[in-house]
Formats: sequence, structure tokens, C-alpha cells
Amino acid sequence: MQLVKIRRLLHVSLQRHELIRRGMASDRASTAETTRFDFLVIGGGSGGLAGARRAAELGANTAVIESHKLGGTCVNVGCVPKKVMWNAAVHAEYLHDHSDYGFATENAQFSWETLKAKRDAYVSHLNRIYRNNLDKAKIQTIQGYARFTDDREPTVEVNGKKVTAPHILIATGGQPSVLSDDEVPGASLGITSDGFFELETLPKRSVIVGAGYIAVEMAGILATLGSKTSLVIRQTGVLRNFDAFISANCTKELQNNGIDLWKNSQVKSVSKTDKGLEVMIVTKDPEKKNDEKISTIEEVECLLWAIGRQPNTSGLNIGSMGVDTDERGHIIVDEFQNTSRPGIYAVGDVCGQALLTPVAIAAGRKLAHRLFEGKKDSKLDYSSIPTVVFSHPPIGTVGLTEEEAINSNGKENVKIYKTSFTPMYHAITSRKSQCIMKLVCVGKEEKVVGLHMQGLGCDEMLQGFAVAIKMGATKADFDNTVAIHPTSSEEFVTMR
Amino acid sequence: MKASLRWLVTHVEVAPLGLPQWQTRFRGGHYTGSFHNNIMAALCRGRHRWKGLKGLQVFTRNLAGRYDYDLVVIGGGSGGLACSKEAAQLGQKVAVLDYVEPTAKGTKWALGGTCVNVGCIPKKLMHQAALLGTAIKDSKKYGWQMPETVHHDWATMAEAVQNHVRSLNWGHRVQLQDKKVKYLNLKGSLLDEHTVRGLSKAGKETILTTKNIVIATGGRPKYPTQIPGAVEHGITSDDIFWLKRAPGKTLVVGASYVALECAGFLTGIGLDTTVMVRSVALRGFDQQMAGLVTDYMVAYGTRFIWRSVPKRVDKLSSGTLQVTWSDTETGREHKDTYDSVLWAVGRAPETKALGLDKLGVQLNKQTGKILVGPDESTSVPNVYAFGDISEGRPELTPTAIKAGKLLAHRLAGHSADLMNYDNVATTVFTPLEYGCVGLSEEEAERRLGKDGIEVFHAFYKPLEFTVAERDASQCYIKVICERGGHQKILGLHFTGPNAGEVIQGFSMSLQCGATYSHLLQTVGIHPTCAEEVVKIHITKRSGLDPTVTGC
Repeated sequence: MQLVKIRRLLHVSLQRHELIRRGMASDRASTAETTRFDFLVIGGGSGGLAGARRAAELGANTAVIESHKLGGTCVNVGCVPKKVMWNAAVHAEYLHDHSDYGFATENAQFSWETLKAKRDAYVSHLNRIYRNNLDKAKIQTIQGYARFTDDREPTVEVNGKKVTAPHILIATGGQPSVLSDDEVPGASLGITSDGFFELETLPKRSVIVGAGYIAVEMAGILATLGSKTSLVIRQTGVLRNFDAFISANCTKELQNNGIDLWKNSQVKSVSKTDKGLEVMIVTKDPEKKNDEKISTIEEVECLLWAIGRQPNTSGLNIGSMGVDTDERGHIIVDEFQNTSRPGIYAVGDVCGQALLTPVAIAAGRKLAHRLFEGKKDSKLDYSSIPTVVFSHPPIGTVGLTEEEAINSNGKENVKIYKTSFTPMYHAITSRKSQCIMKLVCVGKEEKVVGLHMQGLGCDEMLQGFAVAIKMGATKADFDNTVAIHPTSSEEFVTMR
Repeated sequence: MKASLRWLVTHVEVAPLGLPQWQTRFRGGHYTGSFHNNIMAALCRGRHRWKGLKGLQVFTRNLAGRYDYDLVVIGGGSGGLACSKEAAQLGQKVAVLDYVEPTAKGTKWALGGTCVNVGCIPKKLMHQAALLGTAIKDSKKYGWQMPETVHHDWATMAEAVQNHVRSLNWGHRVQLQDKKVKYLNLKGSLLDEHTVRGLSKAGKETILTTKNIVIATGGRPKYPTQIPGAVEHGITSDDIFWLKRAPGKTLVVGASYVALECAGFLTGIGLDTTVMVRSVALRGFDQQMAGLVTDYMVAYGTRFIWRSVPKRVDKLSSGTLQVTWSDTETGREHKDTYDSVLWAVGRAPETKALGLDKLGVQLNKQTGKILVGPDESTSVPNVYAFGDISEGRPELTPTAIKAGKLLAHRLAGHSADLMNYDNVATTVFTPLEYGCVGLSEEEAERRLGKDGIEVFHAFYKPLEFTVAERDASQCYIKVICERGGHQKILGLHFTGPNAGEVIQGFSMSLQCGATYSHLLQTVGIHPTCAEEVVKIHITKRSGLDPTVTGC
């Protein structure tokens, strides 16, 4: 019913566009069956929608093609529902602290079902907001899968209809990588972060595979909400591309939070029994090369693969368009988001660089300004992008790691400031968690090129410091800033 | 000489190796400051080498100069402790005097001053308790089955808070010892610009001579002594954190940040709380933001009685307090009963007992605060004052700490750097936290005119409020910029969760001279509240709806 309605709406408005366009491009009778726009966006996620809306604001006749729900990964299976779950997990942590602060809340029962219903309702609400925003901006929403055709001029086909524009933006994002049953027998019995958001009940026993931020966040949420959780990582620490200080601390915090960490381990096979999944794990002894230990985790209700993400390019037929991709399928773009094919651009996760919503949004908007406002230099600066991991406690990081700073500046030109302390919130709780902070400074003027932290409140602390670091702040600027007492963030400006 | 003999008698226990006659012999001064400093520096360098040598202390003392100390600090609060420790680190011989006069209710505390004992620390912890109270309500929406009403036990919270405060008191004692600062639990006053008189609780007198004197005695809450029953039956913020039992139904009189913070946490832990306001809330702060803070409190359950002044407080036979007040608009009188009445009608500097009038240290007659120069100097040479006691300074712990350290460096001749009191960020820990840095909109308008400023603003909804179904009407961000040129940011205001943590980094960017475009150039962190600051784009002038929708 809903689909029919959308189709009909689509049909009516497509006709409208055709009429308008036909008048303006009457010499192109051969493409009369092709609907023409000024700007065509493939993918209605963060980057695509932001680019489309900005282009429409600047007067471009714009369409967005989306095969699933508007809002993309962030809204449907990423940042937003993830943060809702993290907030729920934070409440679970508070439960331990209530009695220390004088509240009597013993034996509170948790209902995953209630939480999921509320979360889904909120996400649907956002989907509707996105739809309304597009409608208000007079942007055509086309529901369906886009595929580039063989036409001379870049054109895509959706639901059997051809659509084209002089500027086509690919913002199809990515999806969790999966292993085939050939690679790991029974791998398909597991889920990914997409499946996590479909779980109807809290799994009693979970196994997460991966050491990246998604694995860390998923493991943290499940464990904190009461699932017995194991995390299987190939080496000895999580978040290995983060500063070593953070990587080591986060690994420790996961264990402090009761997560059963399997280092130097990989899943060998998965099988299904009537009591759940049996996950067979092989653990290597890093000292003795050929020494392997095989173990089995039984009665697993949720096996979650968080082993990376891959770009959504299959089915787009970009191969025949002369749009270059890297070995992992990411679309290669220059600093202005141009692909190797003129008239085709790409932003966001599909490019494989800084997979973050605000990055995609900013890149999409910058592109719109370049294409439709004549701002030739409009491009996103990908340096010093702040990012937060919603672990327990959260991590905030911006700029270079110590290792990166040493590699590019030499050890003698890098100065490190570090501190760790117990946040005041934990002064009177029996549950304790440290806050750690680190500044990476370079040169005689001690320019701050990296800031890394993990602790209560670090998620909200980072943004303002990111502005200052982007401005080129030095350690002296940190020292010259008066603290706000009592906060955790003040430790950054009182570091010695 | 007489004073010196008395010193000899009373000071033996404090400094057994002291040679008191030296101080008088050298008073009048043949040593130049720089010579003195050279000696100190030499001693400093030599200290490690001579460590453990018997008689070193005697030697040090002999050369310490014509005075017992290089620096005597009166007041062991945030500023005084920071200044004395820093000076000692730089090789100065330092003593710090701290003495807490009990409140009218008899509450007293140990070393550390207002912040540690009756200010920032206990208030933030009780604010955290109140936030947990809200979290319990939210957690039901997040899927927890909670009892309809959750009981809060004041004694559990207060005891935990007090134990933490005591651990900090102890920590400060240990630090002073580690850094070789002489701590004296004495009430200090000035005899002349080089002599401090210390009085013990038992009335025993100690005389200390010193090159420089720093006054950092802070302030204490005021009582409206003209109101019958105010002192007998009321308490202040000096008492609230040390109460053994919950204050019960409470009337908070005043609308300063202290008043609102106290009323906020009392409401948050489930107590029936009323705030009585004479005129405006959070005077001196941006008034639009102040309105949001109090609107949120009203929605949160704090009662407000506006435009009213208390007339008298009577204790009824039941033990409850009957407060009579009058509405300043209608002139009508009202009465209600409370279990506690908390006065938060301002703070007064602790200058009276310092003997400043005899020395001619100039005060602001209205406020009673000490007039100081940019280098914290008073009108009397060698006497300095900073922190809450000094006129025109923000009453904030971090400014006192920073000013104290810089003063120590200048007194030790290590640097000439002055304290920069601009762009000091602060956060009000009300139920909805409010953080700000720089100018209020009113002040920016006053300086540059309405046409000289551009105000960007946004009403945003924190993600944590959505599932919890909390009203976010007061979550607001305002960035005040110069209108022309680079749109330099003049003020930044934020209400919402974690405001204190959010605003610190931004205050640093203001310190670095941030403009509106610097905000825009910074990529947001999703999903956080802080990212809304860098996403801000609607101007007040445009009249467009500043409500944030979607990501």
C-alpha cells in the first residue's frame, strides 16, 4: 500500500519534472524518456542528504535515490541507535552507583524489549524528519536501486526509469564486512552491527569478533546491559590504530568491565546446537609460533562480526563508468571529491576515508557550494578531525598519535604531556574508572598536534579543544586558559 | 624586641631551630631583593647536595634574611594554597595560616577553603546525586523497572561527600608538608607590612615576620541580619553540606548561582524546594540564559516565589520554621512553613579581622573587598591580595589558583607575567547545567551596539533526552560574534548536559582568538551535544527558527 502510494507520487512528480525539463532542453529529444536533474545523489545517508539539501538551497533541481530507509547508516544502524544503546548502558552503570549516592534502587529489572521499541520509534521519527526535509526542499526522493547505464552521458537507471544530471554524487556508504562459510565454517550463523539493531532480546551470551571501534562499542553495550560477553581479537590490544596510550587503556577497561578478552585469537568455526551456537576459537601463543590452543565457547546466543566495513558499490556498475576504485573497492576521489570520471563525485564511507557522519555531511555540503555556488576552492580539510568512541568510559581523540608525530617530526621534536586521575564523580562510588589524557606537542613552540583521552565525559569534552587545535593551539595556549572547576576537562589546561 | 621575645616564647614548638634575633637585627634592610634572591637560588641549587647534613636548617635560617619567612600567606583556600606551594617550589620560605571561624550553626571544617569544604567540591557531588535522581526517572524509559518513588538517604550521601572532603583536607596537609610550606592553624592578622600575628583557637599568639604578605582569606555567605530570626533559624551554604539529616522542605532565599545550585540539588534528591527571588536570577550572567536555567528548574519541580522579600522567620512549637514574606509588587504579605531556610543572599569578604585599617590597606567601602592592582598589589607595599577577597575579581577557584601561582612567580622574581582575567569560562551546576565564556549578549550589545554584534543561536535536543522523553526546550546555544570583519567570537553560552565539560575547550579557542569561521571549519563529533556549537548557523537577526532538526 505504502509502496504503491510512493510509486504514484513518484510518477506524478517525475512527470512534472519531465515537463519542466523538456521545455528547457528541447533539443535533446532523444533523451525525452530520461528525467534530467541538475544534481543527482545516489544514497540518502548523511553525506548524500546534506549535499542534496545544500544544492537545493542553492537553486539546483535535485533528486536523491535511496534503496532503503532515509538517513543511511548513521540514523538506522549506526551512530544514533548505537548512542541510544550506549546511553542505556550508561544507566546500567549508574545502577551500581545509586546506593553510593544515597538512592535505593536495588534489583531493578531491565527490559530490552522496551528499549528496542523506544529506539525504533525514535529512528522512525528521524526517517520521517528526513523525508519531510527533502520534501520541504523540493528534492525528489526516488526509492530504488541505482545502476549506471551504458549511455554516453552518465545516467542511472532506477526501477526501469532513466535519470541523469550533469553532476552525479555517489554517497552509497558502506556495510559491515562478513566472512563466507568457506573462510570460516558457520560464519553466516553470526550477525553484524546491522543485525545487532534487530535483536529482540538481550542475548545471555555474546561473542564479538574484532578489535575496531565498532567491536569495542558493541561489546561494551552488551556487557554493561548484562550479557556475558567475550571479545575475540587477533592481537593483544583493541583500537590498534589509536594512540598506544588509548589502545592499552581501552583494552584494560574492557577487562575491568567484565568482558572476557581472547587475545591472539581467531574464530575457527561456528556450529549450531539446540543450546545455541558453539564458537570454536584458535589461540596462538605469541612466544611459540606453532603452539595453538583450540577452545570452544558454548551456548552463544549472539555471535557478532565486527571485522571492518566495506563500500557499497556492487550493483552500481561503476566499473564500466571509468570511476576508479582502490583494491578494497573504495571510490578514489581527489581533495574536491572528484572521481576519475568528470561529472561523477563521491563522498562519505564509500570513499573509505574518515568514516564519520559529520565528515560526509561537511564534504557533501562543500561539494554543493563548489558545484552550484561557483566556490571553486570549496573543499573539506580532512586534517584534525575529532572523533569519539562510545566505549565505557568514552574515548575522545583528535590529530596525530604519538607514533605518527614521531614519524613525521622526529622523536627529539615531540613532547608528550600525560595525566590520569579519578574523576570526581567516582570519588564517592565503589565502582571506579580512571580518566586518562595525553597531549602530543611538536617543535619548540609546542604546537599541539594530537589530543587523546578516555574517561567519563570525554565525549562532550573534545569538540571545543578540536576547534582550538584546528586553529593551531600550542601548549602555552592550554596553559593560558583558566580552568573550569570542578570538571575533568580542566585537567587539560592545568597539565604540567 | 619585645615582639621578638614573645615570638621566641611561642614559636619554639613551630621552629625549634630558629634564631629569632636575626630577624630584628636585619630588619630595616641592608639586603637588596636581588641579593636575597640570589642567596635563595644558591640555596635551592645546593639543597640536593647538602641533603641530610646536620645543621643545614640553621644555616638556611641564618641566610633566609632579616625575616622569618619570605612569604606568609593568610588563608588556606584554593588561592592561598596554590600561591604558597608555588612559592615554596621556587625556593621561597613560606608559611600559610588557615583558620575557620565556625558558622552561626557551629559548622566548621579543615584546610582547603570554600571550594573544598563548602563550595565547588561538595556542591558538584550533590549535583551528581541529583543528576542520578533524574537518571533514575530516565532509566524507566530506557527499559528498567524502577519503583514508583525511589527513596534517597541524605545521610549516606552526606557522609560519602564529607569523607571525600576530609580526604582532600588531608591531601592538602600532606602537599604542604611535601613542598616544605609551614602550615599554621592560626587566625592571621597584619601588624605591619612585614609582620603577621597568628592567634590560635586557645588564644595563643604567634608573631611571624616576613618579606611579603599575601591575603587570600576569601569570603563567607552573608546573613540578612536585619530580618528577625534569620541568623537563629537559618543556615547558609557553609552549613548545608555538613548537615547530618536531610534539610526537608527548604526555602532558599536568593537567586545567585549558589542559591540555584543548592535549590537544584535539593530538588533533584526529592526534597520540596522553593527559591525566593527579589529581582533577577543569576545577575551578571546573560539574562536569556538565566531565564532558561530557571525555566528548566520550574519544569524540574523547584518552586519559585518571584519578586518577594522575606520579613521574618519564626520557629513554631512543632519545630518548623514559619517564614513571612512580602510581594514587592503587591505589597501583600504571605506565610508558609519550612523545615529549613537557606540564605544565599551574597557573600562577604573576610577582611574585618585582618587589621587592614591600621595599616591603611584600601578597601572598597561598599563591598569591603581589598582594592588591588593588576599585579594583585594592595595600597600598602609588600602586601598583596587576590581571590575572592580582592575587588573586581571573579569569585572562582581556578582564577584564584592561577593568579596565586603567577603571584608566587613574581614575588620570587621568576617572571613578571600578570594574570589575564579575560575569557574566564564558568559553569553553573544547576539541574540543567549552564556553561559560558566571554561576554553576555547584554554586555556585548552595550560595548558594540545592537548592530555591532551577530548572535548565532540554536535550540537543540540532546540525544539522551529523546528516548527519555524529556523536554529539551531549554537546551540552547548562543554564540555572540562581532558583526564585521572576521566575526571574532565575543561570548559563547551553552545550556545542556555536561556543560562544564563542553565549554572548557571552547574557552581555550576563545583564548586563541576564535572567529565564527573557526567553528565552521571544525568537523563535528556525532552524536554529541557539543557538536551543535560548531554546527550553529541561524542568526537572531534573520528571525529564522533556530530549532535543530535531524543530524
